[in-house]
Amino acid sequence: MRPAIETERLTKLYGNHRGIEDVTITVEAGEVFGFLGPNGAGKTTMIRTLLDLIHPTGGSARIFGLDSRRESVAIRARLGNLPGDFGYGREATGREAIGLLARLRGIQGQGRAESLAKRFRADLDRPLGQLSRGNRQKVGLILATFHEPELLILDEPTGGLDPLMQEEFLALVAEERERGCAVFLSSHDLDEVERVCDRVGIVRDARLIAVERMADLLGKARRRVTVELADSAGLSDLGALSGISDLEVRDGRATFKVAGELDPVIKALAEHHVTDIEAVHPTLEEVFLGYYREEGG
Amino acid sequence: MGGQVGALVATHLSDRRRSLLAWGVPLGLWSAFVVLIFPSVEGALSKAIKNYPPALKEAFGIGELANVEQYLQAEMLSLIVPLALGYLAVRAVASGLSGAAESGRLDVLLSAPVSRSRLAAASFAATAVELAIVLVLTVILTGLGSLVSGADLSLGSALAGYANVWPLALVFAGLGIVATGFSLRTSVVTGAVAGVLVTMYVIDLIGKLDPGLSGIRYASVFKYYGNAIEDGIEPIAFIGVTAAAIIFAAVGAWLFERRDLSA
Repeated sequence: MRPAIETERLTKLYGNHRGIEDVTITVEAGEVFGFLGPNGAGKTTMIRTLLDLIHPTGGSARIFGLDSRRESVAIRARLGNLPGDFGYGREATGREAIGLLARLRGIQGQGRAESLAKRFRADLDRPLGQLSRGNRQKVGLILATFHEPELLILDEPTGGLDPLMQEEFLALVAEERERGCAVFLSSHDLDEVERVCDRVGIVRDARLIAVERMADLLGKARRRVTVELADSAGLSDLGALSGISDLEVRDGRATFKVAGELDPVIKALAEHHVTDIEAVHPTLEEVFLGYYREEGG
Repeated sequence: MGGQVGALVATHLSDRRRSLLAWGVPLGLWSAFVVLIFPSVEGALSKAIKNYPPALKEAFGIGELANVEQYLQAEMLSLIVPLALGYLAVRAVASGLSGAAESGRLDVLLSAPVSRSRLAAASFAATAVELAIVLVLTVILTGLGSLVSGADLSLGSALAGYANVWPLALVFAGLGIVATGFSLRTSVVTGAVAGVLVTMYVIDLIGKLDPGLSGIRYASVFKYYGNAIEDGIEPIAFIGVTAAAIIFAAVGAWLFERRDLSA
């Protein structure tokens, strides 16, 4: 099976300003790929280039093996897209929007829109201009998914959703993955990305600086350990161990970070009377910020 | 393909149903009022018109005002209706493209398997239908005004006069699509094309006022507009202007297909 998305040095320049530069990624069918970066890094430019809303100035993108420029209509028959800051005008209702999209897609009826509306408690009968941002976003999610696409492109999908609906969204993404749908997701919500993505790409100043499996990314990252010993004199010895950094000792308690395995630390601590120990995996946010600090020099 | 364009046209007309009434009813009532008052002002008008400078009468297409058709031509069809419908045309076509881009709807529509050219074609076709509905509404109300006043308006002539505005207005819809190839801001598109509309009208007016400058009228679509309420529709001009509108729309669609649709 061909990858859902393949880009080769994909570049979009706006005069002297770089939108994205030399981005090479592959997203397989049934994979959830997170695209991370701060505002202005190039996430939305990447998505709009994949969708042929803007045209690349270099490189290439293939979706389902089809050229993203020449065959964009055929590609769009097989994908669903939720734009960042979803809008559709103030007067139309969600049901009218779904009706039009269904006709444009050649779908009889409205697919699974009704069941999704129930699931997300979306009001499809009120004009979109009368809905809150979160409720509009639910309509946008339904429009992106009601036709059971093979690829979902989601730009900040949970903006405005309440925590319950965010959970429902994550469950839906997991179900779409099970169905074999590929998901390309740009998000600021790193907790959400951590929970749902198989791999992430990190973009900085228009360039892709890392692509990692989520598990590898978190596994590589330094855990934060807090230890309390009956005999606090032994705590300062921890600094001599390899892989330990940011050691702070205060009131019989040490906090430090450990890169790699915990085994050397456990063995060193075994010589003491340990009254408490806690090892915390870093959040994606910490990993992400670490990447930015390292890459930023 | 036809299904997609049909769906887009139906949606456009549904979205603009209030606009259809907002333009068709006032224009129709105005036109009906002109027909209603004609019997009571007929004599005084003829005397007044005799004193008008010939060039002015020629420029604004004012004849002898001996019948209600001539009065309708002078009051409505020589200035107000062509300019109003030209402006409506660019507003309508812009709402389907630049307006959709501003509201975010364009991004949603372009998530579906529909080409930008087809979106532009649908916007143009919907505008053509919208203009026709507004004109038919205007003719109906004008006819009612004639019935009430006993002005003896020939409905066929009125229909020809108003129908002749349709291709003229459509040219500005086509130019609206061309403008969308350069800007996705509705204010820029409508402002630019409204400027062209007024400029073309003034060029035609100047060409009529000064015979030495009559050549400049070829730069204006108003040269081919004529006086259909009295002379009937000139088929070659009607078809030629409609063809020009379609060509503008096709060029606009080509430009729209090639431009970036930035967020």
